[in-house]
Amino acid sequence: MTAAPTIARPANPGSRRGRGLALRLGAIAVLLVLWQLTATVMRNPTFIPYPEAVWDRLIETSTTHDGVRGYSGHLLIEHLGVSLRRILIGSVIGVAGGLLLGVVMGTVGWIRVVTEPVVTFVRALPPLAYFSLFIIWFGIDEAPKLWLLSIAALPPVAVATASAVQGAPATLVEAVRALGAGRWQVTRDVVLPQALPEIFTGIRLAVGIAYSSVVAAETVNGVPGIGGMVRDAQRYSQTDVVVLGLFAIGLSGLAIDALLRTAEKRLIPWRGRA
Amino acid sequence: MSSSPELAVSTAGAATPAVRVREVTHVYGNGSAAVTAVGPIDLTVPAGSVLVLVGASGCGKSTLLRLVAGFERPSTGTVRVAGEPPRPGHSAGLVFQQPRLLPWRSVGGNVALALRYAGVPQQERARRVPELLTRVGLRDVARRRVWEISGGQQQRVALARALAVEHPLLLLDEPFAALDALTRERLQEDFRRVTAETGRTCVFVTHSVDEAVFLGSRVVVLTSRPGRVALDLDIDLPRTGVEPDELRGLPEYAALRATIGHAVRSAAV
Ligand SMILES: Nc1ncnc2c1ncn2[C@@H]1O[C@H](COP(=O)(O)OP(=O)(O)OP(=O)(O)O)[C@@H](O)[C@H]1O
Ligand SMILES: [Mg+2]
Repeated sequence: MTAAPTIARPANPGSRRGRGLALRLGAIAVLLVLWQLTATVMRNPTFIPYPEAVWDRLIETSTTHDGVRGYSGHLLIEHLGVSLRRILIGSVIGVAGGLLLGVVMGTVGWIRVVTEPVVTFVRALPPLAYFSLFIIWFGIDEAPKLWLLSIAALPPVAVATASAVQGAPATLVEAVRALGAGRWQVTRDVVLPQALPEIFTGIRLAVGIAYSSVVAAETVNGVPGIGGMVRDAQRYSQTDVVVLGLFAIGLSGLAIDALLRTAEKRLIPWRGRA
Repeated sequence: MSSSPELAVSTAGAATPAVRVREVTHVYGNGSAAVTAVGPIDLTVPAGSVLVLVGASGCGKSTLLRLVAGFERPSTGTVRVAGEPPRPGHSAGLVFQQPRLLPWRSVGGNVALALRYAGVPQQERARRVPELLTRVGLRDVARRRVWEISGGQQQRVALARALAVEHPLLLLDEPFAALDALTRERLQEDFRRVTAETGRTCVFVTHSVDEAVFLGSRVVVLTSRPGRVALDLDIDLPRTGVEPDELRGLPEYAALRATIGHAVRSAAV
């Protein structure tokens, strides 16, 4: 009698979600208070700005005031939009290339032998290391930034795809071969679908890397762009704007990852069931 | 010990046998890890017969079936299906011991895929999928997800999928093992009737002596690993025109059950 409700309670999804939300909000409140306390104790806004100052900067950079539009002539949302657009284009190119390369690597033995060390080599490099090269090759406008993001996003997708394609379960491959599937049909109906969960993990990694590379890419001629905004702010010691830029990148990153996770659940309902 | 060669000749005539297994052994692994799973074994399955393989767990029944399907190459000896080396997907229809359904396709989608490989046009596929599912006793599951149906239902979907393509030879690895008694009986009766009517050649693996006597036109009992022929027995029961209950009540039926049951027990040691 008394045991039943206590066992039933954690199983209730509504209350569990409610508790998770409360926990997160609580954690954010605690962090804010700690931030406020540290700022008050330090008394040095150039070192640690007050939360309130960052909030004011948010309003300021999001509006036109005294004839000045946002920050460096662009609203915060425009800076963010330009950066997101670069991330999107870079990720799409990198993911597409990584998929293609990964499938070929996973299926053709000698290509894997040749390309695997190259991909691992590029993967080990910090994106900034080859950024200078791209600037020499492609100038300082959009091209080198998009190249940087694409090249940074490609290896994780290629590696994940190659390993997933190689790891196709023999049981299912045999099952469709027993029904008369040829080489291409086996690839289309078993190898690629079973690889999707792992590929998706690779894509999430790739978008994450593109995200962390964009600020670096925008340190050169990066306005408009969040990276450019942060760099300018750093030059003028506007620590509150720097922090605001970090928040803009971090929070939009969270949102994008949540979006990808939702897409994953929709596209791969069998994840963990195969 | 082995069946009289005259009988094989009398049923098959001069025609090529559906399956011919000659001096086959199969060894998994190599060196000190080598395991001889099958053989040496000789088997000839004339066209139109239903051969049931019985034997203890691990005696090599699945391996033998995989050899005939072309998924394994024999370590020694030869396997021929209709006179040719077997090719997966071309020589025979196959029901694996596990359902092996594709989780990214719906239940109906799994069956439709087999029809698609067979070149059946889309519209006809939509019509035949429910038909095939009904044949194995499944209704209203076509749109379900594979993991939303029970293990026995999954096995029946695998059966429906294998039935989609009408190869003259059908290989079945314990297809009814995961079913409840009622469904199993229904499918056994259906299977017995259809094989008698169509004359399709089948090799059927089972653990159940009763199932062997009920379904087979011939029963082969295998020894424990490596699997060899311990008993090869023709089942002289009427194939048509007799009710299942009536059949099970025949004294010959009980006698065959006893003989095969005894052979299984002594082969297992
Ligand atoms: N891929 C493999 N690698 C190594 N050994 C194997 C492999 N597959 C099967 N074996 C071994 O070969 C023997 C025969 O296996 P098989 O699956 O053919 O048995 P079975 O008669 O079908 O058994 P069950 O009735 O339990 O399905 C077993 O001892 C098994 O351990
Ligand atoms: Mg088996």
